[in-house]
Amino acid sequence: MSEHTTQTATPILSVRQLKKHYGGKKPLFGPAPNPLRAVDGISFDVIEGETFGIVGESGCGKTTLGRCIARALEPTDGQMLYRPKDEKEPVDLARLKGKALRPYRLDVQMIFQDPISSLNPRMTLLDIIGEPMIVNGLAKGAEVKRRVGELLERVGLRADHMSRYPHAFSGGQRQRIGIARALALNPRVIVCDEPVSALDVSVQAQILNLLQDLQTEQNLTYLFIAHDLGVVEYLCDRVAVMYVGEIVELSDTERLFDKPLHPYTEALMSAVPEANPYSVRQPKILEGDLANAVNRPDGCHFHPRCSYCVNRCRTEEPQLRELEPGRWVRCHRAEELSLSGASDTLVEGVEA
Amino acid sequence: MTQMVDERVANMPPPADAAEGVSNRIISPTRLMWWKFKKHKLAVASGIFLILAYLATIFAGFVSPYDPASRSNNLYAPPQGIHFKDAEGNFHLQPFVYGYEMTRDLDTLRPVYTTDTDEIYPLRLFVQGESYRLFGLFDADIHLFGVEDGYVHLAGTDDFGRDMLSRLVYGAQISLSVGIISVLLSLVLGLVIGGISGLYGGMIDSFIQRVIEAIIAIPTIPLWLGLAAAVPRDWPPVYQYFAILAVLSLISWTSTARVARGRFLALREQDFVTAAKVYGASQPRIIRKHLVPNLMSYVIVTLTLAVPNIIIGETALSFLGVGLKPPTVSWGVLLQEAQSVQIVQFYPWIWIGPALCVILVVLAFNFVGDGARDAADPFSR
Ligand SMILES: Nc1ncnc2c1ncn2[C@@H]1O[C@H](COP(=O)(O)OP(=O)(O)OP(=O)(O)O)[C@@H](O)[C@H]1O
Ligand code: SF4
Ligand SMILES: [Mg+2]
Repeated sequence: MSEHTTQTATPILSVRQLKKHYGGKKPLFGPAPNPLRAVDGISFDVIEGETFGIVGESGCGKTTLGRCIARALEPTDGQMLYRPKDEKEPVDLARLKGKALRPYRLDVQMIFQDPISSLNPRMTLLDIIGEPMIVNGLAKGAEVKRRVGELLERVGLRADHMSRYPHAFSGGQRQRIGIARALALNPRVIVCDEPVSALDVSVQAQILNLLQDLQTEQNLTYLFIAHDLGVVEYLCDRVAVMYVGEIVELSDTERLFDKPLHPYTEALMSAVPEANPYSVRQPKILEGDLANAVNRPDGCHFHPRCSYCVNRCRTEEPQLRELEPGRWVRCHRAEELSLSGASDTLVEGVEA
Repeated sequence: MTQMVDERVANMPPPADAAEGVSNRIISPTRLMWWKFKKHKLAVASGIFLILAYLATIFAGFVSPYDPASRSNNLYAPPQGIHFKDAEGNFHLQPFVYGYEMTRDLDTLRPVYTTDTDEIYPLRLFVQGESYRLFGLFDADIHLFGVEDGYVHLAGTDDFGRDMLSRLVYGAQISLSVGIISVLLSLVLGLVIGGISGLYGGMIDSFIQRVIEAIIAIPTIPLWLGLAAAVPRDWPPVYQYFAILAVLSLISWTSTARVARGRFLALREQDFVTAAKVYGASQPRIIRKHLVPNLMSYVIVTLTLAVPNIIIGETALSFLGVGLKPPTVSWGVLLQEAQSVQIVQFYPWIWIGPALCVILVVLAFNFVGDGARDAADPFSR
C-alpha cells in the first residue's frame, strides 16, 4: 500500500482512516446528539527518520490526532499501523490496550506545548525523568540517577540540576526537561505538540536546534504539530494541512510552500509574517471562524470561507486525491486554480 | 547552526532563594508554601496560639490548677487578679493573688466577694496539688502553676465552687478534639468519595454529586439537632462523644469531597498526567504520585476552614442540650450550665470564659485557613 506517499521507504507508522469523536453517546432519553468530530478519517504515512508536520488553525484537531498516536487517547475508529524495530509485521496501535500496548508505548513518546503543566510541580527532575525508566523496568537506583544525569546534559542542562524542582527553571529549560523525559525510554517516534509555541522567539530557535540535533543523533521520527508555518517550513520534510478533523492537503514541504494546491493552505501562508521589509503582503484574510466540528458545512467543509468557492463546492464533498506524485489535495478546483505560495505574495516593483 | 550553549548558562534564573541570601539550596514546593504562609503574620500567630491550645488539652491535668469536678467553698467567686505590688506598695518578685472575703447580700442572699489584702497567696510554678492522670496512663500531682496554701481561681468559680479555668482547659479537650477528629474523618471520606467521583466521572460522578447536593440542601442545624437528639441519653459519655462526632462529620465531608473532585478533574487534564499515561504509568501510580500530592494543599485548606464549623456545631448542640451532657465537660456544656438569668446577670465570668474560648479558637482557625489558602498555590504571585 503506497497510499499518501510516493517514497519507497517503508513507513514506520501508517495511519489509516483514524477517527476520534467526542460525545455523541446516546443519553438515557432522547436521540443521540451529533458527535464532535475532532479527528475524522485521517490517513497518512510517516517514514522513519523524517519530520512530518501537521498544521492547521486552533481547534482543528491537531492535539487530538497527536494524542491518539501516542495513545494518550483511544481512537474511536481506524488503524495506526506501527512497524516495530525487529518485527516485520506491523502492529495496530489503535486496537491494543493495557498490557499488550505497553511494549510499544516505549517507542512512541510525546512532548507538550505548555511548559508549566507538562511537569509535575511536586517532583524533582530526577523523579520526572526517572519515572518512565522505573515504571518500565529499564533502570533502578543509581542507574536511574546516572541516566537522568546524562539525559539532562544531553538536552543542555546540568546533571546536578536533578534534585531541583521544575519551578526553578525558565520556560525554555522546562521544555528541555520535557524533552529529556520523552527521551528517557529511547523512543523511535516523538509526537511534538507545538513544543515551541509558548516560548520566546529567541528560545524557540534553541529548542528547535536541539530537536534537530537529537533527531540526527538517534534517528528519531518526529510528528511535529504546529500552527506556525514558519516553524514547519524550517523543520519538516512533509506537511499535512488539517481543517476540521480532516487532511485538506499533504505534500512535501518544498512544493507546498512553493505552490500550495488548496485554498486553505494559501490562506494560512499569506498569514505568515515576512522578514523582508520590502515585502508588501496582500494577506488573504481568512474570513469567519473555523467550521463547527459538530455540524460541519455540507459539501466542501471549507466552502463558507473559500474565495474560490463555486456551486459544486456547496453540495459535493471533495475527496483527498493525489494530484501530482506525493501531493494530495481535497479540493474540486485544485487543477484549475493557480494559488500563490509563501514567496509569491510579494507585490512586484517594490523589490530592493 | 545556532548553538544553545548560551541559554543554559545565561538563562539560568536567579535561584528563587537568592532573596534569602542563601544560594544553591534546593527549594521544595513545600518550603515555598511555608515561606508564603509565613508572610501572613496573623496566620502564624493564630497557628502558634492553636498549637499551644492543643498542647494544653493534651496536658490538661498538668496545665489546670485543679480537678474540673472538685468543689470548694468559694461558690460563684469572681476571677482573681494577679498582682506584683501589695496593698502597702511593696513590690514582690513573685506574682501573687489575694484571698477572698465572702459576705452575703442580705436582700438577695447572693454571695458577695471582696478581696482580702491581708491574705497573700504567691503563685508558684510546678506545685504539688490534686492528683490527676496524664494521658489516662500516669498518675501525677504536679501542676504547671498553683498556690501552696490558699486557693487560686484566675477565671473564677461556678455554682459548685469548681475552678472555671480548670473546667475550660478540660472542656477544650472535648471541644477541640471534636473539630480535629471529625475533620480527619471527613478527610478520608471526602478524598475517597471525591476521588472516585472525579476520576471515574460519568454516572458515578453524577450520582455522588446529587447525593452531596441533597446533603448540603438540608439546613445544617436542624439536621444536627434531629440526629443528635436520636442519640440515646443513657449511653456512656464516650459513646455519646463518638455519636456526636459522627453526626458532625456527616456534613463536613461534603465540602472536602467537592474540592477533591474539582482538583482531580483539573489535574487529570494536566499534561504531566498525560505524559505519565504515555510512558505507561499505571492508574494507581498516577493517583499516588501525580494527583494526590498536588491536591493535598487544597484539601488541607478546606479542612482548616471546616474545623471552626465543627467546633461551633458541638458547642451549639451541647448548649441546646442535645449534645454532650454533664458530667462531661465541653465548652458547649459549660455554656449550657450558664443559661440561667442569674448567672448571665451577676456571674458573667461563668459564660464569658467558654464564649471567649470558642470565639478565639474559631477566629484563629479562620486566620490560619486564610493564610494556608494563599500559600496553597506557591507559584501564584
Ligand atoms: N476532551 C474533549 N472533549 C470534548 N471535546 C474536545 C476534547 N478535547 C478536544 N475537544 C475538541 O476537539 C476539537 C479539536 O481539539 P484539539 O485540541 O485537538 O485542537 P488543536 O488543533 O490542538 O487546537 P490548538 O491549536 O488550540 O491546540 C476542538 O473543537 C476541541 O474543542
Ligand atoms: S472545493 Fe471549493 S470550496 Fe472547497 S476548497 Fe476547493 S474551491 Fe474552495
Ligand atoms: Mg493543540
